[in-house]
Amino acid sequence: MEPTDDAVLLARARAGDVSGFEALVEKHKDRVYALALRMTNSEADAAEVSQEAFLAAFRNLKEFRGDAQFGSWVHRIAANTALMRLRKRKAAAETLESTLEVEPTFNERGSLMDTVSNWRDAEGDALDAELRVAIETAAASLADEYRQVFVLRDLEGLSYEEIAELTGDTVAAIKSRLHRARLSLRAAIDHFYGERNG
Amino acid sequence: MTTCRDSLDLLLEYAEGHLPDDVRRRLEAHFGDCQPCEEFLKTYRATPGLCKKALAATMPEAVAKKLTTFLRRELQAHGDGEPKAE
Repeated sequence: MEPTDDAVLLARARAGDVSGFEALVEKHKDRVYALALRMTNSEADAAEVSQEAFLAAFRNLKEFRGDAQFGSWVHRIAANTALMRLRKRKAAAETLESTLEVEPTFNERGSLMDTVSNWRDAEGDALDAELRVAIETAAASLADEYRQVFVLRDLEGLSYEEIAELTGDTVAAIKSRLHRARLSLRAAIDHFYGERNG
Repeated sequence: MTTCRDSLDLLLEYAEGHLPDDVRRRLEAHFGDCQPCEEFLKTYRATPGLCKKALAATMPEAVAKKLTTFLRRELQAHGDGEPKAE
C-alpha cells in the first residue's frame, strides 16, 4: 500500500484530526529523532527535542506554507529546538572545547606528509559496524558548534544561508567550522582504515 | 605555486564547486601532480556520505510510545486537538 501523502495528512491535521497528525509524526519521527540525537549528543535530550518539535509543529500548523515540504519544516523546527537546548546547556555549564586535531602533517615547503589509508571498503552500500561506531564516537567528540553545523549541512542538507538564519552565525564562520568538522571526521575514518588495512 | 597546505584550505569550496575558475584550475593542476593530495581529496569527498550512513538513527520504541502519549495528552489539554488559529 502506498503511504498516505503528507498533504492529505496535513489537511486532516489542520482540520483538527489528531490521527492525521499522528500519522505525520509516525512518518517523520525517525529523522527528527536522528537530527536531535546528533545535534544534542544525548538520547534524553533527543527524546525531549522530538516531543517539543512535534508539539510546536502541531500548534503552528496553520502557519505552515503549503508549498514547502512538511518534513523540511518539522526538521527546521527540531533543529531550532535543539539549538536552543544547546545554548541553555552551554550557559548552564561550560562545555569542554573539543581539541580538533585535524590538520594533516606538512613539511616546511607545505607538502603533505601523511599517507592516506586504503578506503576501498567504504564504497559498498553496507556500512561496517565498527566503522559506524568509530564515526559515532568522532562525531560525538566534536564541540557543539562544529557538530551542529556538520549535522545541519551534511546530514540534513540545509543551505549555508538557512544554517546562518538558524544559528545567527556568518556563512564564512559556518563554512570554516564545517571544513574543520569534515577534516576531523575524515581523520577518524582514515585512522579506522589505517588500523584495519594496515 | 599551489602547495598541499594551500589546497587543504580550499577543499570545501572546491568540493562544492564554489571556486573561481582560475583558482580551480591551479588547484586541479596541483592535484594532477600530487597523488597524496588527490587521495586526500577523494577521502574528504567521501566523508559526508559515510557519516550520513553511520549516523542515521531510528527512534527507540519506548521513546516513540512516550512521544505518542505526550502528544495525545498535550493536544487534548490545549483545545481538543485543534491547531492554533491564524
